[in-house]
Amino acid sequence: MKPARLHIVAALFVAGAVATPVVAHHSGAMFDNTKTVELTGTVKEFQWTNPHIWIQIERQNTGGAKEEWSVEGGSPNSLSRNGWRKTTFAPGTAVSIRVNPMRDGSHAGNFVGAKFADGKTIGRWE
Amino acid sequence: MIFKAIQTLSVGLAASVVLAQGLLTAQQKLPSFDSLPDWSGIWQMQGGTIFDGSTVEPKNGRSGEAWVRERPPYTPEFEKLYQQNIEKIAAGRLPDPVNTCGRPHGFPRAMNLPDVYEFVVRPEQTWIVGENGPNIIRVYTDGRPHPPADEMWPTYSGDSVGRWEGDTLVFDTVSTKGFLIDEDVIVDRTGLILSERSHTVTRMRKIDDSTIEAVMTIEDEKALAKPWVVTKRYRKAPAGSRAYDYACAENNRNPTTDSGQTLTLGPDGKPIDKKID
Repeated sequence: MKPARLHIVAALFVAGAVATPVVAHHSGAMFDNTKTVELTGTVKEFQWTNPHIWIQIERQNTGGAKEEWSVEGGSPNSLSRNGWRKTTFAPGTAVSIRVNPMRDGSHAGNFVGAKFADGKTIGRWE
Repeated sequence: MIFKAIQTLSVGLAASVVLAQGLLTAQQKLPSFDSLPDWSGIWQMQGGTIFDGSTVEPKNGRSGEAWVRERPPYTPEFEKLYQQNIEKIAAGRLPDPVNTCGRPHGFPRAMNLPDVYEFVVRPEQTWIVGENGPNIIRVYTDGRPHPPADEMWPTYSGDSVGRWEGDTLVFDTVSTKGFLIDEDVIVDRTGLILSERSHTVTRMRKIDDSTIEAVMTIEDEKALAKPWVVTKRYRKAPAGSRAYDYACAENNRNPTTDSGQTLTLGPDGKPIDKKID
């Protein structure tokens, strides 16, 4: 198989996977899918673990204080097949992450997409 | 008395011989490995985890979202039970039972999994292996029947026996747990359910080089007023793809409370939810 063709097949596979909800193992009732919050800050910790990956991101809130958010994503299994790596959100990385936030206002959300300082994006970022 | 015992033994032996001959005949008829279709590789179910996408309401509804439902031909009793589950989903109080980590999803939910599948085909048996698990459906195709009733008990995955009809694997699944025995057995995250009397005939075949289709005809004298036909499709992943551990208990930051609330834990392992009931 030529590399170019492999690329197309991979892209199709990713397109199919995107339609699958990120939260695949538990109820997603805690997240508000109608809202999106953008968090700009620095990755504190990246938990590349089953059943879901977690990105701990620190940002400054409007009062200037540090605020930590927990961002939940899919399984490392599915994400690795869709281009993610264990180093994608290395600690110290500057990034903007969009999430569907928790309904109760807690500092956590379900991953939607992210944009890095070099302009590269991952997930849904329109 | 002795005559009776000998007579019983003779009948028993004769039955064993007939049974053995039956199995032998079935074994002789096993297809060769080379004649079986190539289902190797990694496969991903298409269309999200709504079990019956053909009847989902609203049309683009996703599994687990409030008030999303399907339209199985339920009996009034099961329609009522499904309604109750739908209301609990909307209230965020029907946790996905697999949240507990380690429990199989059960059949037919095992045909409706996120992540990927492997289908291991041999003349005498096929294994349907779900990465999201533990989920393995063992389909015996060596001619054996289901075990006698007194040797079966309801299990998550049930008992599956089948045969090859050309390039199509046809198998029959019974003895599943169902919702009436265990309320933690659901078919998808809309709260869809069946009973322990479900009896499913699945026909699986490759419909093109990159697609395997499973058509399930489900009968259930308690849950369904008539047979329910559900089709699932699986698309082949790029060559070289791998499946991995699905270690649900590795870092499960979404445990559930006794009231059915699914919590979200912070990195310190403590709930970050503002309200816990």
